[in-house]
Amino acid sequence: MARTMQTPLTIPVPVLRLPRGPDGLSRGFAPDGRRAPLMPEGPEAPGSAVVRDSRESQEQQARAALRERYLRSLLAMVGHQVSFTLHEGVHVTAHFGATDLDVANFYVSQLQTPIGVQAEALLRCSDIIAYSFKP
Amino acid sequence: MAMRQTPLTCSGHTRPVVDLAFSGITPYGYFLISACKDGKPMLRQGDTGDWIGTFLGHKGAVWGATLNKDATKAATAAADFTAKVWDAVSGDELMTLAHKHIVKTVDFTQDSNYLLTGGQDKLLRIYDLNKPEAEPKEISGHTSGIKKALWCSEDKQILSADDKTVRLWDHATMTEVKSLTFNMSVSSMEYIPEGEILVITYGRSIAFHSAVSLDPIKSFEAPATINSASLHPEKEFLVAGGEDFKLYKYDYNSGEELESYKGHFGPIHCVRFSPDGELYASGSEDGTLRLWQTVVGKTYGLWKCVLPEDSGELAKPKISFPETTEEELEEIASENSDSIYSSTPEVKA
Repeated sequence: MARTMQTPLTIPVPVLRLPRGPDGLSRGFAPDGRRAPLMPEGPEAPGSAVVRDSRESQEQQARAALRERYLRSLLAMVGHQVSFTLHEGVHVTAHFGATDLDVANFYVSQLQTPIGVQAEALLRCSDIIAYSFKP
Repeated sequence: MAMRQTPLTCSGHTRPVVDLAFSGITPYGYFLISACKDGKPMLRQGDTGDWIGTFLGHKGAVWGATLNKDATKAATAAADFTAKVWDAVSGDELMTLAHKHIVKTVDFTQDSNYLLTGGQDKLLRIYDLNKPEAEPKEISGHTSGIKKALWCSEDKQILSADDKTVRLWDHATMTEVKSLTFNMSVSSMEYIPEGEILVITYGRSIAFHSAVSLDPIKSFEAPATINSASLHPEKEFLVAGGEDFKLYKYDYNSGEELESYKGHFGPIHCVRFSPDGELYASGSEDGTLRLWQTVVGKTYGLWKCVLPEDSGELAKPKISFPETTEEELEEIASENSDSIYSSTPEVKA
């Protein structure tokens, strides 16, 4: 009997969507894009859409932009050494692994504490006063 | 269940993609620029491949493109005998630097104060971007057209490759320090600052040299002519692509071929790891860029890992995606045809 080649059944990695392509209308670099200045600078250029954002929606945009930056800072922290300042003057360092959905806990490894090195640990964010790292 | 690589195709270019570069990691993520023979280099979000904008202005094929570290500036090298510097936030052209022949390569210093260019006129030029009207400093010595020029050793030295040589120059004295000669055409060069490693491809070889001494470290042979290779930031893997349209992934330490991926419909001209090493991008003669996961199945960017317990049909994500039809998802999945059991792509109307 012929021996058929066995390949393990594989599932393609699911994707949320395809990358967005050019809009075909403009050269892009949307003025309301993520890197655009949040507040309009001086008189608006002729031809640009004059949208009087209410103060609330401007604030919401600012909040969204700041949150995105914060989440990206967490992403940039993965795998790096982070110094944490905890209550009562305690300082620890660890390799940052991940945070949970609500940023309530940080999963770290090689946590260097005053009483020794913990291979894996969960740091409660409510215990953290400040943290810093070098990307 | 083992997971199969799903490459993400970035469309938009109408001609071959000949060069691509990532920025560093910025507070807004990282970015990707692609150089294309259609003369319209594009900026994309690095982790998703989403198009951000197209730099319009060149009147010929763009051969080289780069971003500065914080992705605030872009530079491009083109067949219209100019290199251009762009504002990468607004897309506006900032400077046009006239050359005497096709420009092939551009590179910013770490502080974005200087731009290095090289091209068919065989000269390396250093432009002070704070004094755009000043004449550039020129370094001569190459005997054939320069294909790639890079700053190295904290911008104190310059590495340049022409058809058969790779040369190391001292920036301060503008003189040649060392050179390597090959008996085959050098197709690409990549510089890794951490560890001062130089990745050179020629023929079917992928070679690693010290960027400081140019001494060889190791080299691997691929099954086909390689046009570009990239070393993972943590130096665990390297990826390479070339004339057989496939991408190869190797273990850097052992040289073992770990994976090969089909997907492009033409030779691969450039391949680069992202600055966080989570994905790599490839540019091809087929006019597309594709993004590939380093760790297949990890949730990152547009890739979303689904655990086996969550759903009965793993190939179809649970949440509804108005932008993506089921046919398109099947087509994405079946492009990598290494598995015997890949589904037949449905014919699109």
